[in-house]
Amino acid sequence: MVDSTMPVDPAAAVGKNARAGDALVARLIAGAVILCGWEIVVRLSAPAFVAKPSTIAMAIPRVLVDPAFLASAAATLAGVVEGLAIALVVGTIIGLAIGRSRLVDVTLRLYVNIFYALPMLVVVPLFALWFGYTGAARLVTVVFASVFSIIVNVADGARAVPQEYVEVARSFRAAPLRSLFDVVLPASTPYLLAGLRLAAGRALIGAVVAEFITAVSGIGYFILYNSRTYHESEAFVGVLVLAGFGVGFDSLVGWCTRRFLPWYRRDRGA
Amino acid sequence: MSSAETNAAARIRVRGLAKRYGAFEVFRDVAFDVGQREVVTIVGASGCGKTTLLRCLDGLLPADGGEIWIDAQRLAAPIAGVAMVFQHFGLFPWKTVYDNVAYGLRMAGASREEIGRRVPHFIALVGLAGFEQAYPYQMSGGMQQRCGLARALAIDPAVLLMDEPFAAVDAQTREILQFELLRIWEGKPTSMIFVTHSIEEAVLMGDRVFVLKGRPSRVAETIAIDLPRPRTRATLRLPRFAELRERVWSTLMSEARQAEFQLSGG
Ligand SMILES: Nc1ncnc2c1ncn2[C@@H]1O[C@H](COP(=O)(O)OP(=O)(O)O)[C@@H](O)[C@H]1O
Ligand SMILES: [Mg+2]
Repeated sequence: MVDSTMPVDPAAAVGKNARAGDALVARLIAGAVILCGWEIVVRLSAPAFVAKPSTIAMAIPRVLVDPAFLASAAATLAGVVEGLAIALVVGTIIGLAIGRSRLVDVTLRLYVNIFYALPMLVVVPLFALWFGYTGAARLVTVVFASVFSIIVNVADGARAVPQEYVEVARSFRAAPLRSLFDVVLPASTPYLLAGLRLAAGRALIGAVVAEFITAVSGIGYFILYNSRTYHESEAFVGVLVLAGFGVGFDSLVGWCTRRFLPWYRRDRGA
Repeated sequence: MSSAETNAAARIRVRGLAKRYGAFEVFRDVAFDVGQREVVTIVGASGCGKTTLLRCLDGLLPADGGEIWIDAQRLAAPIAGVAMVFQHFGLFPWKTVYDNVAYGLRMAGASREEIGRRVPHFIALVGLAGFEQAYPYQMSGGMQQRCGLARALAIDPAVLLMDEPFAAVDAQTREILQFELLRIWEGKPTSMIFVTHSIEEAVLMGDRVFVLKGRPSRVAETIAIDLPRPRTRATLRLPRFAELRERVWSTLMSEARQAEFQLSGG
């Protein structure tokens, strides 16, 4: 029969690997072309202080051992992690309440949507006034930037909890408040994780914006200071490190999901 | 065991029960008793209100009329002595077999010691020993329903409500589970209401078969199943089994035919 005469699967697998390899090569070539183009254009037409790949590459080791830079990076990272942790706890509780209680939903939904849509650029000056030109202003900005993505996603997840689970909980006489954390929260985890990933991106932006505006030391301020003092390559290293934080956090969430939520996605055959 | 005998002391008493969803009347005037060690099976066309009736009996859904009594307690909300086994298992995917089975006990505030003693016992009873740390996604449908059954049994219910518990598993597994459930029930007989759309299953499991019929539906027909217990695979070969199966079948079919004529007529 067809199956026994045609080794479809191995061939397909090889083809797939080959395609993945092709994609990688294409990606590397595209990256190299962009970097070369950038290098050539800057060399031909821009003053020496304008950042180009070669000077950025040379700046990397210098910046990465600079104690001032490391302190800045640590300050920003600490602010982001601390703010995200606060946003996660507060956002989860408010999100669960909105998702499961009509009263809380109609009371808060409008305000959540307004604050979610508000550009953080306009609130940072207010936070700077209220909390001073300090790390506290950055922390508040990070919480503000990230908490609403978590609220909105957790509320969606809590609303979408399969009726079956709620009914099982009621059948076994679970206390409603207990079910909120025992049933609704785990059932909403996929939404929570999606919200957390969004929140992490917004938290990083929030921290940088806060540093730009309040001049609190951190990577954002490091980038601003260096680009204003014609150390553009150093500024770019700061940008790369920020991007690294973003990618790193995403991988961390992915790893935690696989490690601590083994059931997640498996039931959908992924 | 005759139904008169098993009914001597009724555990469940239903009187004049009615339920509607908006203008749609699901059932009306449903009344029956279930004895302390009696299995009542309920058959009826799809959509006739079997699940709705069970949800009322579990206290999950308020009835619009009538009363449900479990022993001396009038039902208004889920009570401690009643456990449900759900058609689609109703397991929590984020909990292991152990934690799913322990769920009812934890919610009832059982002590650590009691949970540690009862949970392994019921896991073994349903044949899931060795799978304590497995997640539902790692198990077949049959194994998942074994877990659902263990969770219900673990709270030591006086009343077991089963909503087409084996409808979502393959035929072979279903047969195995039927006899396992019979074995477990014989070990500790309780009141059980077992909803099914399989006539064979209804006859095999039940002391009485209720046929839900009509619009709105009610218990139109009660068929006493005078097959000896314990029921085993040999039961399936008894001439009496075939007779009773035919009786339930013809009762259901007269309904199906009427419904068909009503549809084609108007
Ligand atoms: N929550 C609900 N709202 C409105 N109608 C419902 C609801 N649940 C069930 N029904 C309707 O009530 C009838 C009985 O449903 P159900 O009890 O699930 O039937 P069965 O279990 O016998 O198949 C069906 O026609 C169904 O469409
Ligand atoms: Mg049903």
